[in-house]
Parts: sequence; structure tokens; C-alpha cells
Amino acid sequence: MWELIQSNKRKSLILFFGMGALLILIGFVFGSYYNSETGGAVGVLFAILLWMILSAVSYFGGSKILLSVSGAKEVTKEIHPQLYNVVEEMKIAAGVPYFPKIYIIDDPAPNAFATGVKPENSAIAVTSGLLSTLNRYELQGVVAHEMSHIINRDILLMTFAGMMLGAIALMSEVFFRGMYFGGGSRYRSRSSSKSSSGQAQVLIMILAIVLAILGPILAQLFYFAISRKREYLADASAARLTRYPEGLASALEKIANSTHTLRTANKITAPMYIVNPLKKEGMKLADLTSTHPPISERIKILRALQQGISYKDYQKIYEMISGKKEKIIPDSALKEAIPITPLQSAFTKEKDFNPVEAKRQTGDILMKMNDYQFINCSCGVRIKVPPDYNKSIVVCPRCGRKHSINNLSS
Amino acid sequence: MICPVCNESMIVLELNKVEIDYCTNCSGIWLDKGELALLYSVDESENDLQKLFAESSSVNEKSYKCPLCRKRMKKIQFNNSELVIDKCPDNHGLWFDKGELEKVLTLKSTASSQKILELLKDMFSYNKSQEAE
Repeated sequence: MWELIQSNKRKSLILFFGMGALLILIGFVFGSYYNSETGGAVGVLFAILLWMILSAVSYFGGSKILLSVSGAKEVTKEIHPQLYNVVEEMKIAAGVPYFPKIYIIDDPAPNAFATGVKPENSAIAVTSGLLSTLNRYELQGVVAHEMSHIINRDILLMTFAGMMLGAIALMSEVFFRGMYFGGGSRYRSRSSSKSSSGQAQVLIMILAIVLAILGPILAQLFYFAISRKREYLADASAARLTRYPEGLASALEKIANSTHTLRTANKITAPMYIVNPLKKEGMKLADLTSTHPPISERIKILRALQQGISYKDYQKIYEMISGKKEKIIPDSALKEAIPITPLQSAFTKEKDFNPVEAKRQTGDILMKMNDYQFINCSCGVRIKVPPDYNKSIVVCPRCGRKHSINNLSS
Repeated sequence: MICPVCNESMIVLELNKVEIDYCTNCSGIWLDKGELALLYSVDESENDLQKLFAESSSVNEKSYKCPLCRKRMKKIQFNNSELVIDKCPDNHGLWFDKGELEKVLTLKSTASSQKILELLKDMFSYNKSQEAE
């Protein structure tokens, strides 16, 4: 796996400088648009400054920003022992010394992502919808997939790329707003009065508009090209870690079939998730810009892993199903000599899984995380009181018993 | 969750694995979409639930905002009865005012609405007996 990790680090660097160059170019052209003589240099300076600040921020706090943008809250072993156990199992299976932090996002749409600069301070975030729709084996599959992103160093790449994409999107947004309010016209008319630069001015203007439109798209393509391969690789690793590809396959199926859309996802955070949260019908058309391989294809590959689940098997089945000769697994991993066989339906699938139970449990965990008080009335009603409730007594509407509340605020 | 009528924080009541949000201030009830789905689990179709509601046009009640998405809720007729309740335009859930709840409690239930009514009747049996006195 060393070669793989190395190549990811290299790709992170290429992406880092490639996007930086794009950022500088955009800065130069936008600057020139406002002032043809000195604007270009000012624009470049501004772009470099923005780039440097964002790089520093994303290196030191990128994962924290992404987590808080997604509205994720950290859970401890006490609050959700089951989820903690699953992560611990995958940590042991992968044989890694670090333990990622676990976060829950309060959102009914099932999805998950991993983030962090180094594996030592990485984090796995799952939505409450995921916890309430998946059984233990499916959850294992998803956690193994995210764990693989951490082990393969995909998270560093994703965090950096997300921040870079954000910077470029921000710049063209500012440019368009500026143009809309006519901010540039004052300078433009002054400089274009010098007859010599008239034609160049028009050229710069067209270039600026083209870049403002294409810049973010270009940056996204940059981003997508790399992120799609990562997904296959993480799937392959997850199948190996759990030795139960069906778990991840049926989890992906459940996620794909969900009618909820993730509220907190946006263009920048979308590629981080296990399944693209911005999915819409007719996604086939947008194959080029798709951050994730078609989910049906991922499920098909996982389900076809009947004979073995080594990287070699995954590569073979990938080629068979997609019809492409593309290498998705690095050479060093393909040389793996030990054949690994999947556990054949060793688990009772849905028998011990009660969706109502799971949903209730997840809801309670979210409320506990948000400091709700739980009162079990002896008539059978459970009363859950939010921390900002302003009365000191609550009356059970079913039996009339009065319960007093320890107001935390008062 | 914040009560759409009086902007107070609501408490959550759970009975038979179903949760409802209840405002102790105005006695209003919020039934979440997810909870309705739990009531009407897999064996019943979505259509069953949809059949319960018809849009009502001739009501001059004050309209409230959905506590989840803050969009103005629509007034709808519940199960062809006189009962008019609020429903989020994006289907996030249903809102019952205090008076509406009392009507619910006296309502005859049909097969498809039975589950909602039974839950509410059971949950608020004490409140109901208080009203009777």
C-alpha cells in the first residue's frame, strides 16, 4: 500500500499547485479587468494571499471547518456505544494505530464522509439517517469505506481540494457580483480612454468573463477526476476489511434509494460523501462532472465479488462490469498474494433489524447530544424535554402526573 | 423544535415508539413526516396517507410557518371531516391546534385515519378527561 499512499500524496501536491496556478491566473485576469495597468499585479497578489490563507486554514483546521459546515457533532462511546464499536472493529481489522473521531450529522438523508489532514486526527461523520436505516453489517461496510479513505490518505487530498475549489468559487462569485453592481466601470472607462489599450481591454473583459464561468468548472473537473477513482478503491478496501461485500452493497443500495436530500451538502463538500448527496435523476448525462462512479455499478461490482475479495479480484470484476481497461488499483496492491474469500451470507440479513427501533434510538442519541432531559412517566409515555424549556414542571398529557425538571439554565 | 404558534420550545412525547412534539403553552401538536411514516409502516402505501388530506380553500384561519423549513403551511381538510389542520407545503409534517386536537379526539375514525387518531386519543387521554369535567 506504500506506493498507493505515496501516489496520493503526489497527487495532492499536483492538485495543490495546479489549483493554485488557476487561482493566480484568475486573480491576474480579474485584476486587469478592473485596471489594465496595475490591476493585474494587485489581482495576483490578492489571489496569492487568499490562496495562502486558505491553504494554512485548511491544513490546520480544514477538517474542522468542513465538519462544522456540515453541522456535525462529536459522539463519545457513552452516547453511542454501537457506532463506536463498529469503528473500533474496523480500526482493528485495518491494523492501524489511530482512532478517528466520530461525528453525527443530524439529517434524515443517509450518508457519511471522512475528513482530516493526518490519519492521527481524522474524523468519520455519519448522518442520523444513515444510523437509522442501516443494520450493523451495512454500517460496518460504510465505516470500512470511510476508514479506507483515511488509510489511503484520500482525506488530505479531499480537504485541500475542497478548500481550493472554495477559493476559486469565491473569487468568481465576487467578480460577478462586482460586475453586476458596475464596480469596474469607473476604472474601465478611464483606462479605455487611452486609445492604445482599447482593444486589449475588450479582450481582457471577455477573458475575465470566460474565466469566471469556466474557472470553477475547471477546478471541479480537476477535483472529480481524482475523487472518482478513490471511491472504487475505498469500496475495494472496504470489502477486504469487512470480508463481507454484501454489507456495503446493500448499504449503498439503501442510500441510493433514499428519497431524502442532504440539507447541508453543497458543491464543495459533495465529493467527500460515500454517495454523492446532490444526486438527481438523469445523472448519466453528467458523467464527466460526476464526483462518484455510478452507484449501480459500484453495487454490481461488490455483488459480483463471489470468489474472492482481494484487490486483484476487484480489479478483474471492475474491468468486466465497466468494460474499461482502466487501472483503479495500484500495481503494488494487485501483487497481493494471499487470496481472501468473502464470508458467504454468514449473517441473518434483516431479521434482527427493526427500522422503527433504530430510528427511535438514533433520535434519542441526537437529543442526548443536545442536552435533552429524559423522563420516563410510569404510564408508559417518555417525555423528552429540550434544554431551553422554560417551565419547571411538565404534566404528562396521558395520565396527569407532574414531573419536575432540573432546569440547567436557572 | 419551536412551536409555530407561540414560539416556545416544545417537548417531545413518545408512546408506542411514536414521537410527537407538544407545546405545553398552547397545547398544539406537531406530527413529523417521519413519525407519520412510522405509523403507516411498510404495509400501507403512501397513498393511504395522502388520501386523508384534501386542500381546503375557504378557511380564514391565520396561517403558521412550518417549524422545520419556515415556509407557510397550507390549510388542509383532514379525512373529509370539518377538521382543518395545517400541513407543510414541503411535507415536513402536520400541525394540530388545541381546538383542532379536541375535534380529533371526538372524531370517528375511518380505517386509514385510525392510527393517527388512536395515537392522539391515547396520548392525551388525561387532557381529554380534564376537558370533560
